[in-house]
Amino acid sequence: MASALFYILIFPGFLFVSVFGLAAEYIDRKLCAKLQNRVGPPWFQPLADLVKLVAKETVMPVDADLTIFRLMPVVALTAAITALLYIPMWGPQALFSFQGDVIVVLYLLTIPTLTFFLGGWYSRSVFSMIGAARSITQLFAYEIPLFLSILAPALLANTWSLSEMTVFYGQHPRYGLFNFAGFWIALTALLGKLEKVPFDIPEAETEIVAGSFTEYSGRLLAFFRMTINIEMVVGASLLAAVFLPYGLHLGPLVGFVLYLLKVLLVVALLSLSRTVFARLRIDQMIDFCWKYVAPVAFAQLLADLMLKGLLG
Amino acid sequence: MALLDRIVRWARIKSPWILHFNSGACNACDIEVIAALTPRFDLERFGVLLKGTPRHADVLVCTGPVTRQIKDRLVRIYEQMPEPKFVLAVGTCACSGGVFRGCYNVMDGIDSIIPVSAYIPGCPASPQAIIDGVVKLLAGIDHPETQAAAEESKPAPVEDRPAGKEAVEVTR
Repeated sequence: MASALFYILIFPGFLFVSVFGLAAEYIDRKLCAKLQNRVGPPWFQPLADLVKLVAKETVMPVDADLTIFRLMPVVALTAAITALLYIPMWGPQALFSFQGDVIVVLYLLTIPTLTFFLGGWYSRSVFSMIGAARSITQLFAYEIPLFLSILAPALLANTWSLSEMTVFYGQHPRYGLFNFAGFWIALTALLGKLEKVPFDIPEAETEIVAGSFTEYSGRLLAFFRMTINIEMVVGASLLAAVFLPYGLHLGPLVGFVLYLLKVLLVVALLSLSRTVFARLRIDQMIDFCWKYVAPVAFAQLLADLMLKGLLG
Repeated sequence: MALLDRIVRWARIKSPWILHFNSGACNACDIEVIAALTPRFDLERFGVLLKGTPRHADVLVCTGPVTRQIKDRLVRIYEQMPEPKFVLAVGTCACSGGVFRGCYNVMDGIDSIIPVSAYIPGCPASPQAIIDGVVKLLAGIDHPETQAAAEESKPAPVEDRPAGKEAVEVTR
């Protein structure tokens, strides 16, 4: 009981993942600033933003469905934090694992997008409804390449459990290199999932104010911001566990430090693309995902299947 | 509780998100506000972020005199912002009405409509002046007693204004 509470509240649960999420946001913003030749925010900036939002008034729109409006940020945060429990962090074994947890993690990471949709839709503001429709449209474009690119390595490893995948790739490190294309596909899909440039179409602030979050303020907005930060960390951890499963057998401490470095690498790549690219239109985004990203993901899947056949 | 209050006040000072609103300016002040947000001046150093929606904003940055057309919109935007909120009047026109003061189609400065926390004069106000004004506004948040004094001296909202400035018939 005490250990379960420790897992949920301290490590790797709420406290650790919140601090890690805030740190990831700081690194993202600072790196973006450095790439734009700016000084960038101080280290406590994400914390100050969070405290300020929590202490601010939370405005409830008159037309909104208040139950869903209030519930969605909490659901989003819960789903994002839960997903981390199944991802190996300090060793080949995650805290919890079972056959099929890779699917569970993928679906838990889909829930925040659905809450953005529902929260935006039931805010009953024109901007948030457009943003909500866009985020769900975008979901259909990036979700399938993401699933294909994560499940192809699982096929090669012949398991549906992230922990067993990590063990397999630890024993056969060269097979991990084989999923190189999948890493970039998953990174692209993660950009869409986190609604970051060039796929920030659902919250395009120059067109539709702030998309789904237009009517959110104060505490509820703080929840959604934390969700995006934690989703970034969890998505990066998923990519690290599936595509960079190296060094996890070196013991908990080295493994954990390596895990942090891998997550930072993925976050750095995300902020690099945020700086380099400009926003696409929604139709361009869907064209890009279906014409180029999905076929490459299929090719990766086929290649993994063939390799598996060759190896018997 | 005093510690909690101090933490919250610290967070408010370190994270002012702004909403830029043109209440009838000639665009010169708007260009300067945008310039202040560019990488050269890099307001993100102080935690300033430009937000699109009043729901996310803490500071309403207003430029220009309030035209009669935009008066209702300005009040509406102001009321859409969650508490605590602050208003920054950028430029001479926003402070007092400037050269447009007394015109039949404008309402003088921003403070004739909504309470203003800090005034930044200039025609247009330079980015340095805007940053200085933001810093002074934040210093005001840090000392609540001066803030309270400022609250008391604020003018009444426009609804209470005398009817003398109502629409004037203009002959061509």
